[in-house]
Amino acid sequence: MSILARSVGNAFRNKVRSGAVVIILAVAIGLALSMLVANQAVADKITSLKASVGNNLTVNPAGSRGGQGGGEPLTTADLSTASSVAHVSSVNGTLSLRLSNASTTAPAPAAPEGQGGSRTGRALSGTTSLVSAVDPGTLGNRENGRTSTSAATASSGATASSGATASSGAAVAGSTAVRPAFSIPIEATGVSGSVNAAAEPINITNGTALNDFAATSAQALVGSTLAAKNSLTVGSAFTINDRTMTVSGIFDAGTAFDNNAIYLPLTAAQTLANQPSEISTMTVLVDSIDNVNATKSALASALGSTRVDVTAGPGRVESTIGSLGSVQSISLIGFIAAVGTAGLIVLLIMIMVVRERRREIGVLKAIGASNRSIGVQFVFEALVLVVMGSVVGAVLASVSSNSIVGALVSTNMGTTAAVAGSGRQGLLAARQAAGGFGGSAAPGGGRGAFAGASQLIGTISTSLGWQTLVLGVLGILLIAALGALIPALLTAKVRPIEVLRGE
Amino acid sequence: MLEVKDVVKSFKTDDHTIKPVNGVSFSLEQGTFAAILGKSGSGKSTLLSLLGALDKATSGDVLVDGVNISALPDSKLTAYRRDDIGFVFQQYNLIPNLSAKENVMLPMEFAGLPRAKRSVRAAQLLNQVELTEDMHNRKANKLSGGQQQRVSIARALANNPKLILADEPTGNLDDETGELIIELLRSLCHEKNTTILVVTHDQALARKTDRRFRLARGKISEITHH
Repeated sequence: MSILARSVGNAFRNKVRSGAVVIILAVAIGLALSMLVANQAVADKITSLKASVGNNLTVNPAGSRGGQGGGEPLTTADLSTASSVAHVSSVNGTLSLRLSNASTTAPAPAAPEGQGGSRTGRALSGTTSLVSAVDPGTLGNRENGRTSTSAATASSGATASSGATASSGAAVAGSTAVRPAFSIPIEATGVSGSVNAAAEPINITNGTALNDFAATSAQALVGSTLAAKNSLTVGSAFTINDRTMTVSGIFDAGTAFDNNAIYLPLTAAQTLANQPSEISTMTVLVDSIDNVNATKSALASALGSTRVDVTAGPGRVESTIGSLGSVQSISLIGFIAAVGTAGLIVLLIMIMVVRERRREIGVLKAIGASNRSIGVQFVFEALVLVVMGSVVGAVLASVSSNSIVGALVSTNMGTTAAVAGSGRQGLLAARQAAGGFGGSAAPGGGRGAFAGASQLIGTISTSLGWQTLVLGVLGILLIAALGALIPALLTAKVRPIEVLRGE
Repeated sequence: MLEVKDVVKSFKTDDHTIKPVNGVSFSLEQGTFAAILGKSGSGKSTLLSLLGALDKATSGDVLVDGVNISALPDSKLTAYRRDDIGFVFQQYNLIPNLSAKENVMLPMEFAGLPRAKRSVRAAQLLNQVELTEDMHNRKANKLSGGQQQRVSIARALANNPKLILADEPTGNLDDETGELIIELLRSLCHEKNTTILVVTHDQALARKTDRRFRLARGKISEITHH
């Protein structure tokens, strides 16, 4: 009969009590594990949010913003300068073009623009065979300086139209409401990858992404409404400045304005617009939201603060992450409290057991047991209870962590999504983090607690890593051993003479 | 050989010192079956705890085969209790959830005897104390009082001690069973040449022993008449 076997036997001496202790321990340990899981989930999510939401900087030529203002354009050389700045994880340069319908414009793509441009700022960069999917309406006519109904607009429109009308080719002075040929220019953006100017992925609903980024590329992505208006499907052809382009994919950007647009390979766009090496906007992704401010200054000085304007995304994301951080610390406190409780349960129950078995400890000492072997026996006995509690607790955790993590993460995921708005990457990462432990938080979360339980080990190990799980269990065992050690040391104080005391 | 020389044990209470053992001296040859008689509170149990190294004397010496156990450090006392002493208690004090055999194996485990040897020896000892084979694997708390006391005696013999100290070994048993236990102790004493010192207030039991002492108010005296 070894010490270990004796300890296991002793743990089951009072089955009712041991059962009760195991259940209480299981609740505490289950809670601790759930808190650990939640803590890790939130931590992972914060990291992924920091690296994906609110961490983009926009670089524009100084004095220019979205086609308005002036200054010198950015070049592709600036892209490489920006990418060498510390904490910059990626740089994305885009060139925006405005294309007018060939049938309503003067044939020359480089037709002289009005001095200072039109009221919308940018000059037209070329023509296309496509017809805008957006009807000009009152806004379009007013913005483009065309009279619609009122005389006041007409007069101001006439002033402004001196240049704009020239480009539209119809030289009717004192324009009237009847300009049926006018259409809204189509936005074309030269991109160098699968993300748009805001560094968000282009949502392709049909066809494939751009993959030929050569200057001679004929690939183009067309917005869904624009494609519908022009009866384009994947593989259809259209022209830009006489180059025949092929639709490689149809995208949906979610708004009528954004869907009336085209994406072109960047160098092809530069060639088509005859603006070699030129880019209009640069989007810089910073590795973490924590470094945004420092990188912003570093970028400005690297590119020349008089040449460029660097702007950061909305700062509200930081406060969201701050609130997530407090959730993280709450779950950490929860973990520590639950582990502490488990330790306390072990401590109290073992103190009780030692008091109860004083006489027996005295007997063991009288027949020659050393203090150490008795202490070890009691520590083992406590560990048997803890291991059983841990096993039951892990099952409890696998059932309850679904709802706990779901409550902590998916609620906050909703908030984050609302605040971050367009942070699609962040949202996806958050979904992965939350959905990682299965069930309710996952998209299409009809999976029940049982399915969650069966997936716990696998999913936690992939989403949290074995280290976390092992560390959690080791932490609990350590606390339990400490909780058992004090009672074990108490056994050393039991004097063998106890054995001669009457009952 | 057990020699006790002027042993004193005193306890301090609030206002005065009490001496349950006050200058006790006697010696026993190896293989003697002896009894100490005394009323409750006469200091019998205190003396027994001093002899069994369960407690330390305030002054005086206890020599077992020439080794003064009063002077041993605590770590050596554990070894002394394990190797040289066997205890038999009034309440048997077996570990209730272990079987009879496992209880007997316990002191041998503490002494580091290999498991197989422990098992063989425990079975032998249980046979010697006349516990039938079918009882060997029965849990201690499922045995009768007499059977438990037999297991307890086998446990006391486990490591071949020089001295067995028995505290009221028949106190919880009926007369008939008590007599059988005394006979068992007596025969083991002579068979194994083990010194057995029984503390009791049972005159009938004491009559079976080789030597008898009376303890009264902390002082010991040998009863010479038969």
